[in-house]
Amino acid sequence: MKFINDNILTIVVFLPLAGAILLAFFPRRDRDVRYFALAVSLITLLASLHLTWYFVRGQSGFQYEENVPWIPHPNIHYHMGVDGISLWLVILTTFLMPLCVLISWKSIGDRVKEFFILMLVLETAMIGVFVALDLFLFYFFWEATLIPMALLIGMYGHGRKIYAAVKFFLYTMIASVFMLAAILWLYARTGSFDFVTIQGMIQSGQVSGFGNAALWLFLGFFVAFAVKVPLFPVHTWLPDAHVEAPTAGSVLLAGVLLKMGTYGLLRFNLGLFPEQARRNAPWIIALAIIGIIYGALVAMIQPNIKRLVAYTSVSHLGFVVLGIFSFTQLGVDGAVYQMLSHGISTGALFMLLGMIYDRRHTYELSEFGGLATPMPVFATFFAFIMLSSVGLPLLNGFVGEFMVLSGAFQAKQLYGILAATGVIWSACYLLWMYQRVFYGNVTKPVNSSLRDIDARERVSLWPLAIAALVMGVAPMLWLHSIDPAVSAALKQFSGVTQAAVLPARNSPAAPGPPLHADFARNGVEVIGR
Amino acid sequence: MIPAVDYIRILPELVLSIFGIIVMMVDPVLPEQSPKKPLGVIAVIGVLAALAATAYQPGFYGSAFYNTVSVDTFSVFFHVVVLLIALVVILISFEYLDVQRIRSGEYYALVLFGTVGMMLMSAAVELVLIFIALEISSISTYILAGMRRRAAESAEASLKYFLLGSFATAFFLYGVALIFGATGTTNVYGIAHYFQTQQASVLAYLAVGLMFVGLGFKVASAPFHVWTPDVYEGSPAPVVALMSTGPKAAAFAVLLRVLFATGAPGWFWMVWVSAALSMTLGNIGALVQQNVKRLLAYSSIAHAGYLLVAFAAAKQVGISAAIFYAASYAAMNVGAFAVIGHFASEGEKYVTLDDYAGLGRRSPLLAATLTIFLLSLIGIPVTGGFFAKFYVFSAALQSNLVGLTIIGVINSAIAAYYYLRVIVYMYMRDERVEAPVARIPAGLGVGLAISLVATIYLGVMPGRVLDYAIQSAQDLLK
Amino acid sequence: MVPLSYYLVLSAILFACGVAGFLIKRNIITIFLSIELMLNGVNLSFVAFAAQLNKLEGHIFVFFVMVVAAAEAAVGLAIIIAVFRTRETLNVDRVNLLKL
Repeated sequence: MKFINDNILTIVVFLPLAGAILLAFFPRRDRDVRYFALAVSLITLLASLHLTWYFVRGQSGFQYEENVPWIPHPNIHYHMGVDGISLWLVILTTFLMPLCVLISWKSIGDRVKEFFILMLVLETAMIGVFVALDLFLFYFFWEATLIPMALLIGMYGHGRKIYAAVKFFLYTMIASVFMLAAILWLYARTGSFDFVTIQGMIQSGQVSGFGNAALWLFLGFFVAFAVKVPLFPVHTWLPDAHVEAPTAGSVLLAGVLLKMGTYGLLRFNLGLFPEQARRNAPWIIALAIIGIIYGALVAMIQPNIKRLVAYTSVSHLGFVVLGIFSFTQLGVDGAVYQMLSHGISTGALFMLLGMIYDRRHTYELSEFGGLATPMPVFATFFAFIMLSSVGLPLLNGFVGEFMVLSGAFQAKQLYGILAATGVIWSACYLLWMYQRVFYGNVTKPVNSSLRDIDARERVSLWPLAIAALVMGVAPMLWLHSIDPAVSAALKQFSGVTQAAVLPARNSPAAPGPPLHADFARNGVEVIGR
Repeated sequence: MIPAVDYIRILPELVLSIFGIIVMMVDPVLPEQSPKKPLGVIAVIGVLAALAATAYQPGFYGSAFYNTVSVDTFSVFFHVVVLLIALVVILISFEYLDVQRIRSGEYYALVLFGTVGMMLMSAAVELVLIFIALEISSISTYILAGMRRRAAESAEASLKYFLLGSFATAFFLYGVALIFGATGTTNVYGIAHYFQTQQASVLAYLAVGLMFVGLGFKVASAPFHVWTPDVYEGSPAPVVALMSTGPKAAAFAVLLRVLFATGAPGWFWMVWVSAALSMTLGNIGALVQQNVKRLLAYSSIAHAGYLLVAFAAAKQVGISAAIFYAASYAAMNVGAFAVIGHFASEGEKYVTLDDYAGLGRRSPLLAATLTIFLLSLIGIPVTGGFFAKFYVFSAALQSNLVGLTIIGVINSAIAAYYYLRVIVYMYMRDERVEAPVARIPAGLGVGLAISLVATIYLGVMPGRVLDYAIQSAQDLLK
Repeated sequence: MVPLSYYLVLSAILFACGVAGFLIKRNIITIFLSIELMLNGVNLSFVAFAAQLNKLEGHIFVFFVMVVAAAEAAVGLAIIIAVFRTRETLNVDRVNLLKL
């Protein structure tokens, strides 16, 4: 047991990779390959549940830490650990993975083995990104996500898949190179890649020349993460990648890969460069708000459902960035929560779209209409998930958005007001889309004979629906562990936030019960209406 | 009287030369029509024996033959790298020679002799010996480049390589002559002593410049790179695998000795400019290539540039980064050319990107292998290429070369595009022409496995090799 | 006694002639001869320095250069013959299958 507890992160990270390597030597029997991949992803999920089970809630700082020297020169450590923020992102990844395997069961018929190998490799890389505490290790995993995802899009996508894959690859690659430069600079000055060490050295002012370079370092990291999020002007790779990607690719892209960007912003940009983060917040928030509104407006006019959902990601991730850069406890808590709930609901939306695509091989809105008649179960699921994405109270989307908006109001009222319009827009376009797809008469004769979803598809949807509901009803389950981690991350901002927040409120920098009470009161107020 | 231990200090070279001669002598004895595989086997045994001899050397560090050869970690490291390159090249040539109908006897013998030259280059500390070693390796590779005698391209490649190579040698020699005039000695340590004790004259600066030009040709760094694409395109693929890595690594070793062990003055801006130019011109040139061999030729220019960045970073960190880079570049590039050579088929017909379309479906294993090598060339984690680049840039930043680092980093981002193109063709496009893919023969399989393992090993567990590289750098600067 | 600088200038001129010939001439044999000219320029430097410094290394070097140049000539002429066989020309501008 002690062994497991000490090495659990290694186990969770490398289980999928081990599965992928085994799979490489597997005979090409597609059925067995699928079952094997499913088994590996389920075992990984199980192993990751160990993390939640033994996680000490209400405690800030990293847990399950593993820290062994990896390479002596340069001083690179194999340093992993999770706190309340990354813990749930790991779980999100392992949770979505089996569902992605299920959803690809039939839609991937060609080069099946390669597909699942890539998926499992991708899983390892994604989990690694969230648990790495050594900047080098982080960059290592960060880059490693790139190849499998690009190959998934390029090999199994449709339409202009090559264009989408290459665009995705180049955007991320070029942006992350700047991060590499920043990491190398930090190493040259601190002699360490360790996140905690570097953070400590920066805080105590031991890094020579940091003052002059800080802005550039901040931007180096920021560019890499902003492209991944994606923040407004650099978001253009996202719709292409989403539309052409296979369903499982889209789910992971929206569900997990985008969170790598926001996670990075929170962990590194705020953690290492608080001063620069504070200074640059205004324009970053401006970009986030532009993203929220722009994403929503563009989504509204999309003739392609998948593209529409892709733009909702731009909009929703704008909320996350807004929350993070509000530097308020509530805002950042909400941002983390929104990351999780966006993963659930958008992941589910893409899965639902994949199911339509399997039947009709198109995403054009005009091809559909009145689908509720032939596919009632499907329509019900869709409605439920769509509402969770809109942010209906009692479902997951609401909690995060509400907290982010409250945080934004605390920081500056204008931010809150502008961002709040985004909520309205999102209700508009999603409901409108739902109406056009499901209500009315069946306009195309092909649609009248569509099968409703079968058992496998239902199995893959139920967990997400339940998660959406539980996350909406009992957010404290998550916030208990998120909150201390966030307040630890915000400790460096205490001076800043005090000034920005309304004096009457509880000090947002103070962690613990007051906030919970505060939040619960607000929540109950709204939900009770 | 030469002490016996001196012979141990050149044992690998001796062993390999003997095996080269054996190959040449066995060749005519074999019946005309019989398969020539035994020659390859002899060559492999020779390389393994030389490896064993090298492994025996660490107990016998020191200089030999009147201070012309120095055996230290540095030389042993490069011996191992060069020998492994030769091993893989011989293994991948087994089938290739049959397919292209190339005469095996001369081929294997020349590979072995060339390797002897490269090994001597890394061990020599006397400019006379460096020059001779350089010529042994160069002349062998000139001939190897023209080995596909029926193909006009091959002869042409050989000619161009020969003419520009000799041209470069003349520059190198002129540099040697001037440094001899300036310092009164041709021994590396003697020169080092001179530079430590006396002010360098104009002649010395000129000499360093000329030697750099000469060696710049050999390592294919810009602006002395123009021959590279043509020669790589026309030469047989396994030979390209050899000459893009072996002589290059050895020439870099010489450059390290000439620039750093001697403490020569005035190299910094030359190296800086050449590094920046090589990276930029190499990558931009590669962007538009349709021929995969040509594409990798430009990429090899760019990689010479990254290596020179490490040179510019200089001293301990830079040198160890350069040494590590040379090793990992060798691993991945040999592998890439091995796949290309196999896929090119008879007469090297299939070498354009279009021929690679759909390779992922027709030959999943080969395609996956090539993909890993290409990813390593891009510098994606889990591969040696990533670490190599990482060390280089990290060394450059430690030496405050911010400008050069930025140029390098941007370049490696650009480079991702053209490597990716190959991968895109293999996996994401459907074939237009059915380029046939033969089964993977055993020799190729083993050769690929070696370079694959080396590439991944350097990417995951670089610690040990890097320790050797650091140790080598210390020995070099001693 | 002729001063050292005279020899050096002459050797530099020879070397420069060689470089110019290499770059300007179009006939492969002539180009090859230009390279030989460069090598001989270098040899002159070596000998001059050796005489001036009274050191043997320079002379030794010259012998090695001559030996290697002979080897290069053998290989080079063989390569030139191979090219001539396939292309039936000795003009470098027409040896252009591989675009430069």
